[in-house]
Amino acid sequence: MNKYLDLTIDEIHVAYLKKELTPKMLLDEVFERMDACQDLNCIITATKEEAYQRAEELSKEEVGGPLWGIPIVIKDNIITKQIRTTCASKMLENFIPIYQATVIDKILKAGMIIVGKTNMDEFAMGSTSETSYFGPPKNPWNPIYITGGSSGGSAGAVASRMVPFALGSDTGGSIRQPASYTGLVGMKPTYGRVSRYGLVAFASSLDQIGPMTRTVYENAVLLNVIAGFDEKDLTSSKKKVEDYTAYLGKETQSLKIGIPSYLVSEVVSEEVRDVFNHVVDLLKKHGNTVEMVEVSYLEQAVPLYQILAMAEASSNLARFDGIRYGYRIEDSKNIDFLYEQTRKEGFGEEVKRRIMVGSSLLSGENAKKYYDKALSIRDDMRSSFLAAFKDYDLLIAPTTTTAAYPLGQGLDDPLKGFMDDILVIPANMAGLPAMNLPAGFSKENLPIGMQIIGAPFQEGKMYQLASFLEKMLDLDLEGGKRQ
Amino acid sequence: MTKYEATIGIEVHVEVKTKSKFFSSSENGYGKNANASCTVVDLGYPGTLPTINEEVINQGIRAVHLTHCKLTKKMHFDRKNYFYPDNPKNYQITQNRTPIGREGYLEIKTSLGLKKIEIEEMHLEEDTCKSAHRGTVSLLDFNRAGVPLIEIVSKPCMHTKEEAVLYLEKLRETFFYGEISDCKIEEGSMRCDANVSIAPIGSKTLGTKCEIKNIGSIHNVGIAIEKEIERQTTLLEKGETLKEETRRFDDKIGDTILMRMKETGNDYRYFPEPDIPMITLSQEQITKAISLLPMTPDERRRQYQEKGMKELSIEKILANKALSDYLNRFLSTPLNFVIAANLLLGDISSYLNKNFLSLEKTKLTDEKFLDLVKKLEVGELSNKNVKDILEEILEKDSSIETIMKENHIQNITDVSFVEEVIQKVLDQNQESVKDYHQGKDRALKYLMGQVMKEAKGTINPKIANEKLKEMLQNQ
Repeated sequence: MNKYLDLTIDEIHVAYLKKELTPKMLLDEVFERMDACQDLNCIITATKEEAYQRAEELSKEEVGGPLWGIPIVIKDNIITKQIRTTCASKMLENFIPIYQATVIDKILKAGMIIVGKTNMDEFAMGSTSETSYFGPPKNPWNPIYITGGSSGGSAGAVASRMVPFALGSDTGGSIRQPASYTGLVGMKPTYGRVSRYGLVAFASSLDQIGPMTRTVYENAVLLNVIAGFDEKDLTSSKKKVEDYTAYLGKETQSLKIGIPSYLVSEVVSEEVRDVFNHVVDLLKKHGNTVEMVEVSYLEQAVPLYQILAMAEASSNLARFDGIRYGYRIEDSKNIDFLYEQTRKEGFGEEVKRRIMVGSSLLSGENAKKYYDKALSIRDDMRSSFLAAFKDYDLLIAPTTTTAAYPLGQGLDDPLKGFMDDILVIPANMAGLPAMNLPAGFSKENLPIGMQIIGAPFQEGKMYQLASFLEKMLDLDLEGGKRQ
Repeated sequence: MTKYEATIGIEVHVEVKTKSKFFSSSENGYGKNANASCTVVDLGYPGTLPTINEEVINQGIRAVHLTHCKLTKKMHFDRKNYFYPDNPKNYQITQNRTPIGREGYLEIKTSLGLKKIEIEEMHLEEDTCKSAHRGTVSLLDFNRAGVPLIEIVSKPCMHTKEEAVLYLEKLRETFFYGEISDCKIEEGSMRCDANVSIAPIGSKTLGTKCEIKNIGSIHNVGIAIEKEIERQTTLLEKGETLKEETRRFDDKIGDTILMRMKETGNDYRYFPEPDIPMITLSQEQITKAISLLPMTPDERRRQYQEKGMKELSIEKILANKALSDYLNRFLSTPLNFVIAANLLLGDISSYLNKNFLSLEKTKLTDEKFLDLVKKLEVGELSNKNVKDILEEILEKDSSIETIMKENHIQNITDVSFVEEVIQKVLDQNQESVKDYHQGKDRALKYLMGQVMKEAKGTINPKIANEKLKEMLQNQ
């Protein structure tokens, strides 16, 4: 029945220009499919009313750029003005912000329509989206499987094709890993490329917002819009934003590509390695050089990540105290009781676990022993990556060790999620841009992805390789689409 | 008391004078309605990030310079984590590992001579919000949240309340004249905590220290230290052991009282603030910041002295920065500073105080002031004349000449005219001249009166008086 929603955004754009389509008509299709996908639990807050109101306003304007009138869903840790922003936590279940994130300013300026806020791990802490206060989202390819996380709802929403675009956030793989599990293109840009202003902080030195899309081209179009310096975020870069779409379709015949050897070691399942090796063969066949490269400390990436992320999280989440916003217990005898009960009841188990570990890591002498040490090893890891980029244009690796696994499987083991992210964490640690590109399928016909990792601010070159592979692999990625 | 020696260290917080707050764009001002100047950043809203107000860094550079500290050119901020309702993010952005200044001093003039009070370090940080308690309800005002602060930590190098008080006065004067802070203790823009311990004279180790928090005036810091030394001495003499505690000074009873025992190992879980990148100060920024510093009080003292002012008068002028700044406008003019300072401290100050005005709000131009002082100096105006016409000088656009004319003031200083008048009076009053020579003082007064009468008040009385005496000698 859907006519327009499954078209490419360029085709939709043409339909708008020809006046055969209006934003309202497209929204009818979006919400019809969103209703059909309710069981997937990808959306925490559907913004139907606001979306139609915006469609009404847009219909009074001239058709704008390529994203004009295009629907998008937003991970629920990105602040949206007047739209509930929960971080999938009881703590913010009824939190309606009075300001909005810089990325939201940007996508609205581009003419996009926000149709919903997506499910995720509580405060982005998790790898399966199962720590959500609102229950886990389900993988559209097969609803007994996880979508991955923490941007699981964003992944599921695009994979089910209810929208062409989602924004996710990636602290330790939270865009790339769910993109891999659901067959999407997911980009974690260079740290500092996209403003973090309005992203509810999990680990400030690692967090980055990025696009999750059906295709490489659409990904580049959205990054064009959200990237750039923001005076409200001191960690954002002043480096000029390129037109990323200009890199697409360029020849890729003599690239030098490295594979960090640890990322294809025995930690990766055979199935994933097979898919990856197929890609390597393809690249070589087309005249590119592909070689193994050693990058230091990759085997330490997970514990290093845990130290930095949890330490920063313990401080970032201290503001949720029941005083100014968010959940607050009914009767408080005194201030300590108010803090303790509010945080005890408002946060879920995983969040509390990480706050406790993080607090302990910063306590007394531990700060020097762990946090400072981790910072310095992170610098060494980054240097080692940068050295590799002297010899190689890009690095590639699998994104995940396996395809998506069934819901509930990892719940008893708090460390499983971290181990799942062993291949995606290094890019965050080094502040590098990294993306997931669908590369094949598992025996159960679930998507398997691969990563392209670039030197800082080399997103363009990454898109170039990604668009080449996308064309060569020519995968049918509509396995999650709902009618 | 003679058995023990006290050791005193002082921590001072001053609010930095800037247009906007440290990490947000909201206004840094005092006296606004509650919560009238705060943004989502000051409220610690989820997703917000700090920005940096460069002017705070520049003020920090100036503060470091004025206190002879070593400047940290590469510095970062740290988070100090603790839960408190007035702490919006439940962490405070401060400098723990790389304070902007280290190892400086201020020189004070004690009754025993000059002494350098050493400063351990000074760092930049943000202020908390203000809480008010109404019965069972606590209210929060975020206007102060994020206001920039400089904390100055002295070494425990003071031994008497006199030193402590002089150090604080010096610090206040330095920062106030540097236009770094208003340093108004009563408005909270300067806050003092004192650490006091005592130990037997000659002892190599320090005694157990007690901290006295948030004392409301420099004077009270002196009293608080004195009382604390007394209290600790009494306890030690009774053979008791002291415990580390935090006390506060109670204005009403004029003594310190216990707030809480010091908790061991306060754990602030400091770590580098990831939202603010490392700051590297360029020589250009440092030089520029320092070049914008107003003249220091000590330099003003030196210059005023050169202009012939007496110490008492200098200190009185320095006690009023507006007057000193006004005087400084004339440093390169031939203005007579002695007369100018007397005028400013006397009649002009009385007028300003009476009318709640500042000098800028009057019609006194630099030109008029120069003219006024000059006329006083040469005698064209007497002190009494000035009293009579000061209001008009300050309230009217007219020149001094015009105002004098309107008030029929004409102090003729032309000596030949004065002599002519005197000669005439002397000729007509030979009896009085005789009386004068016989030692009758009243005769001089009488003659003087006649001179002024003859001249219809148009001659300068001082000159007339001198001339009259001189001419009487020659009679």
